[in-house]
Formats: sequence, structure tokens, C-alpha cells
Amino acid sequence: MKQILMGNEAIALGLIHAGVDMISGYPGTPSSEILGNFQKFRDKNKLNAYAQWATNEKVGFEVAYAGAISGKRTCATMKQVGLNVASDALMSASYIGLKGAMLLVSCDDPGFYSSQTEQDSRSFAKFAKIPVLDPATPQEAYDMVKLGSELSHHFESVVMLRPVMRVSHAREICEVDDALHVTSNEGNFERNIPRWGAVPPAGRFRQGLEQIERLEAIKLWNWEQLIEPKTHQLKGAKVLCLTSGTGDGYVKEAVEERGIQADILKLDMPYPLPKEKLEALFTSYDKVIVFEESYPCIEEQLSSPKLYGKLTKHVHLIDEFSKDKVLLAFANAGVIEPSHAYQSEKYEKELPKRPPNMCPGCPHRDVHYAITKVFKKKKSIYTSDIGCYTLGLNQAAIDTILCMGASISMASGFSISDPDKTVVATIGDSTFMHSGVAPLINAAYQNHKFILVILDNSTTAMTGRQTTPERTNPNQIDIKRIIEGCGIACHEYVYEQDLNKTVGFMKSLQEAYKTATSPVVAVVREFCVLDKDNAIGRLGNVMVEVDENKCVACDSCITNYKCPPMHYNDAGKMEIDPFLCAGCGSCLDVVCPTDAFVKKEEK
Amino acid sequence: MKYQIVIAGIGGQGAVFLVKVLSIASALAGQKCLGTENHGMSQRGGSVSCYVKIGDFYAPAIDEGQADLLIALEGNEALRNIQYLSIDKGVIVVNAPKSFPTVDFETHSIDAFKKAKAKAFPIDALNVYMLGVTLALDSRFPFTCKEIEEAITAMNAKVAEKNIAVLHLGINDAKAKK
Repeated sequence: MKQILMGNEAIALGLIHAGVDMISGYPGTPSSEILGNFQKFRDKNKLNAYAQWATNEKVGFEVAYAGAISGKRTCATMKQVGLNVASDALMSASYIGLKGAMLLVSCDDPGFYSSQTEQDSRSFAKFAKIPVLDPATPQEAYDMVKLGSELSHHFESVVMLRPVMRVSHAREICEVDDALHVTSNEGNFERNIPRWGAVPPAGRFRQGLEQIERLEAIKLWNWEQLIEPKTHQLKGAKVLCLTSGTGDGYVKEAVEERGIQADILKLDMPYPLPKEKLEALFTSYDKVIVFEESYPCIEEQLSSPKLYGKLTKHVHLIDEFSKDKVLLAFANAGVIEPSHAYQSEKYEKELPKRPPNMCPGCPHRDVHYAITKVFKKKKSIYTSDIGCYTLGLNQAAIDTILCMGASISMASGFSISDPDKTVVATIGDSTFMHSGVAPLINAAYQNHKFILVILDNSTTAMTGRQTTPERTNPNQIDIKRIIEGCGIACHEYVYEQDLNKTVGFMKSLQEAYKTATSPVVAVVREFCVLDKDNAIGRLGNVMVEVDENKCVACDSCITNYKCPPMHYNDAGKMEIDPFLCAGCGSCLDVVCPTDAFVKKEEK
Repeated sequence: MKYQIVIAGIGGQGAVFLVKVLSIASALAGQKCLGTENHGMSQRGGSVSCYVKIGDFYAPAIDEGQADLLIALEGNEALRNIQYLSIDKGVIVVNAPKSFPTVDFETHSIDAFKKAKAKAFPIDALNVYMLGVTLALDSRFPFTCKEIEEAITAMNAKVAEKNIAVLHLGINDAKAKK
């Protein structure tokens, strides 16, 4: 039957229809909606399946992997940088293999829409020596989930599905199964110490040999099942385009719309490739151009003087695909004359930039503001982490962003390398649970002196408010007791929408720091303004306006506080957009040097 | 039939809702549809641009110079995305004050913020209001009012009545302006 599905919904439904009944992972754009939608489809179909977030991607992978070696069909979901965290487990799992099936969904983000890196998970699959499927649309993602799960079972290998953002967040009318045709497997771990407990050197060496054999068998399967049937549709043009994932759509449209004479061969499984068989196809072509996103994964597996791609610098090396880039590659390879068919004039005047910002009323803004107010910039280093609070960059309240959990470990490092400055680290509760605990233990272990402020809004806000450990099990998991478990006193502040109090709390930390010999750790009990259950009763209802006689247009508010409703009006005075104002009233004190923000009416 | 729409706005204005409505409308009209949305970081009050491609397409994104229609929920976001419009046939439907600059495209602007401030409709329904304006003013828009109404109902039956009322408010305001 036909259903309108977003890519991540299509993947979730594909998992259900593939009989997957164990799924674990960690949220990260663009992968976050897979697990939640799986829960939704599971409940709708009254299935009994495990679908829960893990504390991080490595944990999620390992949970799903144990399921797979017990004979179940499982899945782990994450974004591409999450795969870095899970990679330790993946590299070994690739040697050991599995009994049931395991699909690893790693979503990529070409164009850096919501990610620190543009890394290509297909290249990671190549590195880990596991097969990878690269869908171009939600329909293909649905189909490839089912195919991947079968393949995983057949070859006893983890199989990766690599959708990019333009697949995960695309929406398409998809043809899906009417009903469930697969029953899920009972888990039954069968002891096999030489396999599941293989140790180096002999055990892993033997598995390494099996891994090589397995890859050869998958290469052949790739040729016979996926590639060879498509070769019959090649029309005998002089140029062959090898495509993968979304690259295929851009090439198809450009070739069709511009009337370019070229054959297109889409490689559904870009690794492992049957090198010799593919290269044998090249004999009847003058040129072979590889269109793939974002690393030269296919290109690196092939060798031919006819090959044009990223390695030969004929295809773009960074950023998302577009038809314009396809034409540029054709032109670079001498297939067409340079073309501007997909270029058009931008608006000639400069437009005000509108970068992402924290929501109006967000407690993070106040905390960042208070930190920079109390710990002066010249004498401080502000390390921060991955989450909504990263947007404290807009307030110039953050100096470093690296990866999950690095705020704390880097604070340790700076406390040694630049000891005259006060290092203030900020990290959210979900990120703290993900990768912050080990760095905190390290800091306590080595008595590193810095200030750590844990911003606890009890949700994974940036990715769509997924649950966090302490939110789900508040009586068992508590950040305060984790800190105290390290022998460190926990400074706790229940956030209020009164900036004086937040600044006052930071001053108390400054006092504590003066005599400290190890990290000073605080937890600020916040809420997410979009999280109705938690925000209720804590959001203000004050409407603020600007006393134009007092406003001197000094930029202080929009530089240091940067709340979205604040903007200059035609008279050059600050104005509050009533549609955007959350009514928190935090800006009434402290923020304006001339006290121009005044209370309007109660909402 | 091939018809490409860029929906531009600010995170939180409901651009994604319009992608969903238009994809449902495509299904109702028996058309193929491929769209793409912004989630995560780009949702946080930043610039948002979503694409809807109706007909035989394979790639979800829209290239420069290709779009038939740009629905902009805010003036600067319209200008920021103007390069996506087709030089020959591109149409802009934009929520902007009278001061919206003259550009080389057929432009239909309406000050929806002013209407919302005057409490003509709740600000949350700005997206649906602008869809109404589009229905009234874009002569090549590939959907009927009935298809859009059905799509809105399919999205969320509970609030459909209110949304459809705002849709018609948009249609009527646009016609009155014409």
C-alpha cells in the first residue's frame, strides 16, 4: 500500500516489516526520528519489541549487538559522529560476526547542516570491513532496511545503512507492505567461546581470515544480485556515471533535463565492490565519472585511467551535492561545455543573517550570560559541548567546541596549559551522561582545578527532546550523586527566571573556586521551554517593552544576551517582538545598562 | 506535470507542516512527490528552507533557477531564497509589509504579521494563512482548495476546522487585495 513517509519513518517501518524487534541508539540529527517512529509503529501494531535510547552510541551498538549474537534481528541508530563513539565496538564486531541480524543505521550530514564533520559513514564501513547500503530516497531506504536485514542474517555480518540528511528528512509517497510478513526471532544465546570470546592473536587472526572470505562472498553477491541486472539497461553511451545514494538523483535529473549522453549505473552497495567485474564494464566507455557523497568511497576501490572523480579533482570535494555540481563535474571531465543552467542571481543586497538561536525564555541563555558576567573574558576560558547550549556561541560565551564530553576533558587540559585563567566548562545533562562522566572522574583523579556547570534540563533538547537516564529513572540516576560519588561537593541551583539569582549563583562558584584544589562542580536544574511537562509553572508571564527614552542603542542586550525578540525598530531603538517573547522577564534586570526594559502588562 | 516549490521561513513558523500538507495533497491528486525538511539545529529560530517537488523527480533538493513557486513566511527569507526561482515562471507569495522591494518575479505580498497582530488569526496559523493566499493568487498552483482542505484534515483532524477557517481567511484577504 502507499504511505507518505519521511525517510526516518520509512526506515522505522522497514525495520518493523523486517522483523527487527530490538533497537537501541543515541539521538543525533539527522537520525533522531528513527527510534521514536519505531516505537510508534510498534505500539500501533501491538508488537513486543525493545526500542530504547542508550546513554551513548557505543552502548546502543553493544546492546543491539548482543541481541544479534543471540539470534535476534536488531538495529542500532546514530548519526555519523555517533559512529565514531561506537566504532570501538564496530571494529571488533566486524571480525566476530553474528547469528541473527543487525542493521547499523548511521545517518550522514553532507553540507554540515547539524554536524561538526562531513565524514562519510560508507568510508567507515569500508574501514570496518562491513557491507553498506546507500539509499537515495525514503522508498529506497525502506526497501534497503529489509534487504540489509536479510543480508546481515545471510552473511552473519553487521550491515550498515547510510542515509544522508536529504534521505532521512525527505518525504515521499512510498510503497510499503500491507501487513507484517516476518515474525521476530526468539533470543537464545548459544555458548561458543572461540567465537564470541575470541582473543588475539590466534582467535582474532582466524576471524580476520573469515572476514576476508566473507567480504569476497559479499562482493560476488553485490555483483550478481545488485549490479549485473542493472547493466542490461545501459544504453551504450560513451560516458558512464557511477552513482551512489542521493548522488544518483541529482545525476539522473541533470542528465535528463540537459540532454547529456551518458549511462548511469547506481551502486546500491558502494562497499564492498566487485572491482574486476566493474572495471571490465569500463572497456566500452571513454570516461567513467563517479558521483558520490561525501568521500571518494567508490573511487578508492577502483583503478582505471578512465576514472574521473574526487581523487582526480573533477568532482567537488566538500559540501552537499546539487545539479550544478553535477554539471561542473561533467564540464571538468570534458563531457559538456561549462554550463550555468543551475545557477541564478542571489538577491543583490546584503540580508540580515538569521543563525539558529536558543528559544526565547531558554534558561541556557541566562546561565551563559551570568558566566560571562561573573568570570571576565580576559581572565577566563569557556569550554562547552554539544547541545542547544552550543548556541551560547551567539553570546560569545563559548571558546571551544570539539565533540561530546570534551568540555570537561579540555577544561582539565587548559587548567594545566594556561593555569592563570579560570576555565568554566558547560555541558548538558544528556551529553554529561553520554561522555562527561569519564572526564569528570579523570579531573577528580588528577585534581584538575576548573569550574564545571552541568546544565540539567532533563531532556535531549536539540534533537527533539528524547528521554534522558535521570528523567526516566529519577530515583536511581542523579547527577548530584554521580558528582558526590567522585568525592566532589555538588553546588546545586534550581534555576529561576530572575537573572540576579543566576548571577548570584555564579558568584558563589567564584568564591568556591578561590580555595578549591580540584574541580568545582555545579548542577543547574533547568527546563526546556518546549518541554511542557517540565516547563509548566516555571515559565514567566511578564510582557516586556522598551522605554525608548532610556534605550541608547548600545547593542549590549543583542550582543551579550541575544534573545530572539530583541531587534531595532525604524526609530533605531530596541523593540521586543510580542510574537516571539516568551514572557520570562529575565531581561528586566541586569541585561540593560540603562534599564530600558520595563514590564508591560500581565499576559 | 512538474512543479517545484520552495518554502522559506524562520524555524518554528511551521514550514515543515506545509511540506507535509503538500505531500498529502500530491497523493490525493495522484501525483508523485518528493520533499525535504529542516530538523535539529536549523529549527532553532534560524533560517529554514524546505523543498517540495511534484511530478517525476529523483533528487529531493531544488537547484537554483528551478522553482515555480516560493512561499515565504517572512520577507527577508523570501529574498534569501530568490535565486531558487525560475527566471521564466517563478512566482513569489510572501508575508511582508508594503516596503517589500520590487524584484524581477511575479510577487504577491501580504502583511500577515499585521493581520495576526490585529488578532485576525492566531500567529501559529501563519503557514496555513499563507497557503490560502497562494491558492488564491498563484494561477499555476497545482492543487485545488478541496485537495488542500482534505490534506489539512488528514494531517490533524482535531484542529482541521480552525485551520481551514484560516485557509479561507487567507484566500479571501488575497482576493480582496487583488
